[in-house]
Amino acid sequence: MLERSSPIFFRSISIPVPKKAIYSRLGYRKSHTQLSDKDINHIELYVDQAVDLIELKGSAVVLPVDTIDNDILRLKNNIVFESSHLAGMMKGCGFVLLMGATAGRRIMDEIENSSAAENLSRGVVLDAAASEMTDGALDWITGYVNQGLRRKAARLTEKRYSAGYGDFSLENQKIIYDLLKMHELGVSITESYLLVPEKTVTALAGVFASGL
Amino acid sequence: MIKFDDLLNKFKDRVIILDGATGTELQARGMPEGVCPELWCLDNSSCIQGIHDDYIEAGSDIIYTCTFGANRFKLSEYGSSNIEEINAALADIAKKAAGKNCLVAGDIGPTGRFIEPFGEVDFDEAVEAFKEQARGLLKGGTDLIVIETQLDIQEARAALIAVKEISDIFTMVSMTYESSARTLGGTDPVSALITLQSLGADAVGCNCSTGPEGMIPLVRSMQPYATVPLVAKPNAGIPKLRQGKTYFDMEPDQFCAHARDFISSGVRLIGGCCGTTPAHIKELRRSTSGLTAKEPAMKSLSALSSAQKTVFFQKNSPLVIIGERINPTGKKDLQEELLQGKTGLVKRYAREQTLSGAHVLDVNVGMPGINEKEIIRTVVKDLAISSHAPLCIDSALPEAMEAALRVYPGRALINSISGEETKRDKLMKMAKKYGAMFILLPIGGKKLPKSASERIGVIKDIFSVARDYGFTREDVIVDALTFAVSADQDAAMETLRTIHWCADDFGCMSVLGLSNVSFGLPERTWINSAFVAMAISGGLTHAIANPLSTEFMNVKRAADVLMKRDRQAKDYISHFAGAKDGPGSGSKGMNKAQAKSSIPSGQSVYNAIVEGNRDEVISLIEEALHAGLPPHTLVNSHMVPAIREVGDLYDKKIYFLPQLISSAETMKKGFEHLEPHIRKDERLSAKKGKILLATVKGDIHDIGKNIIALMLKNQGFEVIDLGKDVPHRDIIDAARQHQVDIVGLSALMTTTMVNMKEVVDLSRKVGLACKFMIGGAVVTRSYADSIGAHYAKDGVEAVKLAESLMV
Repeated sequence: MLERSSPIFFRSISIPVPKKAIYSRLGYRKSHTQLSDKDINHIELYVDQAVDLIELKGSAVVLPVDTIDNDILRLKNNIVFESSHLAGMMKGCGFVLLMGATAGRRIMDEIENSSAAENLSRGVVLDAAASEMTDGALDWITGYVNQGLRRKAARLTEKRYSAGYGDFSLENQKIIYDLLKMHELGVSITESYLLVPEKTVTALAGVFASGL
Repeated sequence: MIKFDDLLNKFKDRVIILDGATGTELQARGMPEGVCPELWCLDNSSCIQGIHDDYIEAGSDIIYTCTFGANRFKLSEYGSSNIEEINAALADIAKKAAGKNCLVAGDIGPTGRFIEPFGEVDFDEAVEAFKEQARGLLKGGTDLIVIETQLDIQEARAALIAVKEISDIFTMVSMTYESSARTLGGTDPVSALITLQSLGADAVGCNCSTGPEGMIPLVRSMQPYATVPLVAKPNAGIPKLRQGKTYFDMEPDQFCAHARDFISSGVRLIGGCCGTTPAHIKELRRSTSGLTAKEPAMKSLSALSSAQKTVFFQKNSPLVIIGERINPTGKKDLQEELLQGKTGLVKRYAREQTLSGAHVLDVNVGMPGINEKEIIRTVVKDLAISSHAPLCIDSALPEAMEAALRVYPGRALINSISGEETKRDKLMKMAKKYGAMFILLPIGGKKLPKSASERIGVIKDIFSVARDYGFTREDVIVDALTFAVSADQDAAMETLRTIHWCADDFGCMSVLGLSNVSFGLPERTWINSAFVAMAISGGLTHAIANPLSTEFMNVKRAADVLMKRDRQAKDYISHFAGAKDGPGSGSKGMNKAQAKSSIPSGQSVYNAIVEGNRDEVISLIEEALHAGLPPHTLVNSHMVPAIREVGDLYDKKIYFLPQLISSAETMKKGFEHLEPHIRKDERLSAKKGKILLATVKGDIHDIGKNIIALMLKNQGFEVIDLGKDVPHRDIIDAARQHQVDIVGLSALMTTTMVNMKEVVDLSRKVGLACKFMIGGAVVTRSYADSIGAHYAKDGVEAVKLAESLMV
């Protein structure tokens, strides 16, 4: 499956375009929102353009769990995550999957260009598409890992958890960023722990198995 | 070792039963978690031998070796490097168990890495790794090879090429599909089938991921296009979770309830994957006994595939367009890019051509001073990721052709193979090895065949050699040759005669490099367009052309209708209906004529803003002014009420964000156009208030803030936008300098949200009297209250809040 000490890189992640999620992110409500043909044409065109500009990449690494206390998840390589929510989610897991995905720089440049060129309606559609595609890339990574785990009668937790959620502070983003070697994907991290390009996400999921 | 026909003959026309799961069986029989299954089996051979014995006893005709992960990438994680020996030893265990009545398939699973262009492992490194494993399996005496549970078509190709480069042993390839009916790499079952069977797989199918019910639609989708037997190995249902462990609970009778459906869908080899046991296989044997396997649906197939799409070539279908633009001839920008090894323009040309109707993309990077072999490999890899259209590889250099075909994760078209003997044989071997179709170029010697009869002679000669290599008419597209009518006015007629012969007598497809016909003449589009219509009527199936030429493409679409190749004119209608309804052409419930003739001009401007009609708002404002509507009436009675109406529609969820912004942008455009009038009119130039906006220090998200700025401006506020990641002190200084009424702060993250409080605190400390309003994904009303600020959840609410704060 995955190496346990260094991440595996996915240089090109291909996923179906999550149009429903993109529309929903933009506030579309099936029972309420009324769209003209022209609206649909514009949005579909912008989504297509976004898909052309998004370059999904990712990395993932599986690390063995050392101990899980009430609010501390300790991994065997001396990595410690303090969060009662995260520790609770990982109960019963022998391993932790760390994963990250980015939509790349091109789409972010184009979102900025759209705003600068006073075409904000295009910008928000590109933005929503990039957000949903990046989330979709994490789904893809979990699917990939689950595929390998299935043969070993193991599987990932249904949910995943990210730095910045609940009591899992955003400072942990730096540890996750380093473990995933995200700089190799062209991602950097700011002093305030934000990932750049903006459409970059990381997450943790547990592996229900004591060995892989 | 067994060959294709021998294997199928051995079983005559009956269904071939494979084995069931190995991994889950090993765990059930005591293999500890965390060990390497292959190494554990070597140390505990009685366990794997027991599994083999039980499957044979249950009725398996073929059992798989326990070598799923016995490749260098996976075994190195456990410190093992003697790949060949491990595979040979495990194959030997299976062979001993199988005896004479059962065959052994050497099992090759995925490496766990992604292969270029989708990953970082070099394609040839992957091929070498698989060769190493395959050598071990052959050494151990396996009768056939199975490449299984592949989630990346490129990895499946690498494994298949590896096996075929060292042996002609019967090889099955089985992919695994997600619930979306695509592999994780995005490949659909039909494209995988086309790519793998043309590459030489002797059987193709799917395993794992899903239970029998979920697998039948996958098999059914492949069946009509299969030239080889199909394989299916579903799981024992969908895995379930109990106390942190996965288990499969589908009983043998439930599992086999679908066996007949599999066989009627063309499956010849069937077994089980995760969660299946000898009991499942025993029941499978029983339930398929007496059933006759179907022959593959086709002998050969005209189709190209990419990693994500198949394009079928069928007689009497619309003309296939092979986009010609990725060619540096006459394109300086592209030449410079290619020389630098860059592919930005190539990707743009690919995108433009496919959007304009190209089905296949021709790729030619040949020019002086270029390392064609290296660059075509780079371009093909990049296009494999960025474009779904299959590729036509166009190179005069056989080594460049091979570099491209080897790394292309689909079935490509070679452009072209002529009668020149040495090159012809080299390219035909290559086409056969990589499963490519090819364009037959009827040039035999130094003299170009001018007449149709000369061309027909050369076509027959080249095709006869191709047939000896195993090609059929479905694998070949004949270039009917196009010469300039400006040099010889008989040229077009000879080409048309060749096309007729291909379609009516020889029964093969034909292609033209169309634009040559008009060389040397002015306004070439008209010649090209007329020629394509004539060629379509003569039976031309493919054209290498520029799909960005609207005239050409429209004539092609019309000719497809007239020649009954576009059934019920579906493509034609859909193309032109799309153009009519395209961006900027329509409006909600109202057409342009109505808008212009029957609606008062102020109302037209109102409608334009409500409908987000940016393209027409200025002309409608001009009409309104021309009709005598004063600017202040236009603004106060029509434009402002319009944008308020939009806000209400958004609040009621009848509008969603893109519509809200589109209307806001229309309003802004209208305002800007009225700027000279507004400046003169005190009733309009008075601002509602001054607002400073900033995304706080450390935060780089600003699209939400930009929306607020746009909406506030539209409502008559003066907005000073400081941008994103703004230090506290800069906000305070600017607020003081501009004497603003309100400061609006935005933050997306919990870590940066705290900076809002610091800005508010600092402002109080320095005695700034302005009000604060805040917003952003993580910001809540209670947080705003706690820091002494006001909260707005979105742009519409921000406008209302700002107006209330100004009272």
